[in-house]
Amino acid sequence: MEGFTFVDMVVLIVYISLIAWIGSRFGKDQYSPEDYFLGGRKIPGWAIGLSVMATQASAITFIGAPGWGFEGGLERLVTFINVPLAMIVLIMVFVPVFHRAGIYSIYELLERRFGPATRTLSALLFLIARGLATGVVLYAPALVLAVVTGWSVNLTIIIMAVLAISYTVLGGMSAVIWTDVIQMFVLWLGALLSIFFLITSLPGGWSDVFTFGAQSGMFNAIDLSLDPSVTYSLWAGLLGGFFLHVAYFGTDQSQIQRVLSSPSVLDAQRSLLIGGYLLIPQMLLFLFIGVILATYYQQHGLTPPEDLNELLPRYVVNAFPSGMAGLVIAGVFAAAMSSLDSALNSLSAVTVRDFYSRYIKPDASDAHYLKASRLATIFWGLYATLFAFFAGNLGPVIEAVNQIGSWFYGALLGTFLLAIFSHRSNARGAVAGLIAGMLAVWLVSSLMDISWLYNNTIGVVVSVSIGYLVSLTTSAPRPEQLSDVIIEETAPDMQAILASRGASAPEVGHEARLTRRRCIGLLLWFGLMLGLLALLQGWANG
Amino acid sequence: MAERLTLARQLNEKAARQRLGRLGAHTLEPAWVALWAAPLGLPGKPPGAWLLGAEEMRRALLLTGTELPAQAERPGPGIQLTGATPPAYEAIRRLWLWERIATPRLWRIQALDIPPTPVWLPCWLGYRAGRQHQLTVISGLSGEVLSMLKALILGGLADAYRHAQTPGEKACSPSDIIQEERKSIGTRV
Repeated sequence: MEGFTFVDMVVLIVYISLIAWIGSRFGKDQYSPEDYFLGGRKIPGWAIGLSVMATQASAITFIGAPGWGFEGGLERLVTFINVPLAMIVLIMVFVPVFHRAGIYSIYELLERRFGPATRTLSALLFLIARGLATGVVLYAPALVLAVVTGWSVNLTIIIMAVLAISYTVLGGMSAVIWTDVIQMFVLWLGALLSIFFLITSLPGGWSDVFTFGAQSGMFNAIDLSLDPSVTYSLWAGLLGGFFLHVAYFGTDQSQIQRVLSSPSVLDAQRSLLIGGYLLIPQMLLFLFIGVILATYYQQHGLTPPEDLNELLPRYVVNAFPSGMAGLVIAGVFAAAMSSLDSALNSLSAVTVRDFYSRYIKPDASDAHYLKASRLATIFWGLYATLFAFFAGNLGPVIEAVNQIGSWFYGALLGTFLLAIFSHRSNARGAVAGLIAGMLAVWLVSSLMDISWLYNNTIGVVVSVSIGYLVSLTTSAPRPEQLSDVIIEETAPDMQAILASRGASAPEVGHEARLTRRRCIGLLLWFGLMLGLLALLQGWANG
Repeated sequence: MAERLTLARQLNEKAARQRLGRLGAHTLEPAWVALWAAPLGLPGKPPGAWLLGAEEMRRALLLTGTELPAQAERPGPGIQLTGATPPAYEAIRRLWLWERIATPRLWRIQALDIPPTPVWLPCWLGYRAGRQHQLTVISGLSGEVLSMLKALILGGLADAYRHAQTPGEKACSPSDIIQEERKSIGTRV
């Protein structure tokens, strides 16, 4: 039990300075050569994959998931089991539409399809939801800092906010994919070392963990209960979690921005594909650490901290050799900065693109908009800071982020589905559906005892149904309003031209279709993950 | 008006065949699209990249490199699609502004105050026959899918068809016209 030593503090400072130096150094050198613009071109796929994971998971997972595992074992894995299925929908439906439309903010698509009111309302919902969730993202590393330094959490929130806002305004540190890779490596190293130190401190090693886990039902990840009040039943995970993740990865600008910035559809698909494959194993790893920690606490007769988010940081600081703890805590910091950077940036981009340049100053100079964008970053940083003060009351941090999203995301996803799939729906229907979807989520969650995971399903179903029905009361949209969601080549005369050109052009040969192959791979992965969980549960229950 | 530069086709037919096959296309042909390239970089320094666009495009394409990869020869075999109109400098600058705001690491890079250069962008068009006929456009430079060019190319193909039909004023089937047009421009893919 060494605590956070002077050596750890030195390692922490050196690591953060090193990451900042790598970011600025590469940032400068990358001007003019290809790497500056399309950073991933010469970088191996695995590095891009880790970079994607760094943005998607990072510090929040490191801090929140062990708390989950400690409390409920692997039961909450069902929240993520649907991710491969959600990615299939995104790859097949959303990415091609968004890319073809040539949009900077996804809410622009709603304006072209339904008019300005729908765009404004959905962009506003994004700002509110993502702003609140950013508060949780800010709270997480502040908590780690508070644990290791002994300072108050509120003070560390303010320090973290000042740091995060400053470097986002200066252009961000995550300019280089390699810094994300280092961060991800350090976080996973921290997780694997935690497992190593925990297991070696248990007299029976792994067998103690499996015995304790099996006896206390911690490996019961699959609950087949049809009762909708069971929060983590398989059905809540499949039905509710599926819509949660389609909405989260598909209609949240902070997540989809990477997809919109990808040079091609295939690159965009690849980044989603990596999330589809790695998110479940990563979550499993950190939940398992929670199970091991539970065994450790039980065997050593320890009392867990009141806030379970502190579990792993506390363990790292107390059990890791001097210097190593500093490295892991620094990794958490840097990874949190990377997430904060992209969240604050997307909030500011939507503020300027969807509100400021749309309603307040439509024809200002570039310099003016860039300044407005920096001011918006500061504003959202302050908004997130205020919310971060209350984030500690929300329970495990990952769940807090997802629950905040679930109030809005279902209705938002329903509106996008109407825009893409229903060519009869119009502006009035979309707005009515969006409002009705959110009201339904609010009503159901306040009046009925059902799993919060179903919030997204309710939001989607209500917004699509009401949106479509209300649309029938007014005229159908004009053809130009459908141009972004209808495949251009479907017009009969165009079909004739394409048929003739295609028929007389040389043949390509037979190759397996990439998108189809990618989706089948994700489907098999989903089956494999579910099968493995069922096997583990079967073994644990004899 | 400046002469249109021809960007050298870097993806040969074999590579395009493989790429389009993986994207589900059954047949392919080369094409050249008329676009305009605006230089990007730090003021007073040589360009670091180029923004390829046209007035009709909502978002421009990014081509990296200090110089445009041009060839001395005129465009080779393939249909030439000239339907696009040149973008105004202001429009290019604004397009780049939104790219910069979306990606902070691009903040320092500006659209340089130099008129856009007209270019021929080499592409490969892949056709898929099924319940509906589909078109896939990939870049002849990198092989990337260029979904954003699709509307422009479909418009160009329709224009080429109409243009070929007008002179004789006789009703021809699209396939007759395409055969004629391929003969006239010497397409051999």
